[in-house]
Amino acid sequence: MTDVDVSAPEITSDTTRQRYELEEMGFKEVPKKWRKFYRYWQGPDDTLAPNEVICPVCKVVIRATRELRPGDKVYCMPCMSRMVVVVGENGRLEADVVF
Amino acid sequence: MTDTTTRTDTDDFDPHALAEQAFLDEVHSFQFWFDSIEGYLTDRPYGRRGTTDEDPIDDRRRERLITTLCNYAVGETAALEGAAGLVQLAPDRNSKIFMATQVADEARHLEVFLHRLRELGVADPESEIERRAQPALVDFKGALLDLVDGGDWQAAVFAQNVILETMEYTVFRLHAANADAVTRDVLAGVIADERRHAGFGENDLGRSLAVDPSGRARLREIRSQLDPMVLGVFEGALDDVGAPTDERHRLAGEYLDTVERLGLT
Repeated sequence: MTDVDVSAPEITSDTTRQRYELEEMGFKEVPKKWRKFYRYWQGPDDTLAPNEVICPVCKVVIRATRELRPGDKVYCMPCMSRMVVVVGENGRLEADVVF
Repeated sequence: MTDTTTRTDTDDFDPHALAEQAFLDEVHSFQFWFDSIEGYLTDRPYGRRGTTDEDPIDDRRRERLITTLCNYAVGETAALEGAAGLVQLAPDRNSKIFMATQVADEARHLEVFLHRLRELGVADPESEIERRAQPALVDFKGALLDLVDGGDWQAAVFAQNVILETMEYTVFRLHAANADAVTRDVLAGVIADERRHAGFGENDLGRSLAVDPSGRARLREIRSQLDPMVLGVFEGALDDVGAPTDERHRLAGEYLDTVERLGLT
């Protein structure tokens, strides 16, 4: 669990971040308007894009319309979790649950 | 994988831009549930796609599958009765609404497993379930319903939405990986529901423990009472579904990850 101010803006909007157009990738466990923000994780060989992190609770891949950076807050709608993006021990972006 | 491009209208419905309370209101709502299950249950009567044919199943495999499904039915009955009781105990309206959707999910799970048992030739599922139920699972059901009857929301959510749901989520995923085609279809819809249930449990408890950490000591004690029961059920269920050792260790670790995030180790 991570102790952060969850009332802050979720993902900072700035022009230096790469933007992504999302398309649905077969994930249908949330209402249609949210589906493109999630996809199934395909296992250890699944390479995440800079706008993606894995939900530590349910292992769904969470996707954003902008490149993610440490400190960003994201939501996993399929399992109702809130989390903050951090740099993991391996140097890659991970997500820590925020209660 | 994603493609780079310029800004589009995707931000109009960006979940990560929601305020915290708006997010919670959305994911706990009946409308969210209804629009979610529409995505993976439409045109799947009893959880089965119309295009899926029965795989040949020999007698030995069929017997094991019937035992497994009978125990799933015990677990789902426990979850149905538990969730129904939790509607009354829920401390706020969002939780009551969510728990009502879980009641509907659990009822559907029970129904699809009973239906599958009949498809496999079980004429009287009720008596077959009674005959094949694991005693440890029956004991767990009793312990869960005692917590609900005692009016203890936090403890009952821990027992049901963290312990039971995590166990079911794990076992169902391992089973789906090597199940016959029809059972795999049925399990796929159930697994999608379990993701919501387990997530609700962890996040609801996480929020309440963040406000009042003193509840951890009591939940640790409940965990110490329930874990031996659950682990026995878990091992038996994984044996039944033929789960590979390395996979079962990896997925069993997810339960430990959950209790660690909640500070209950």
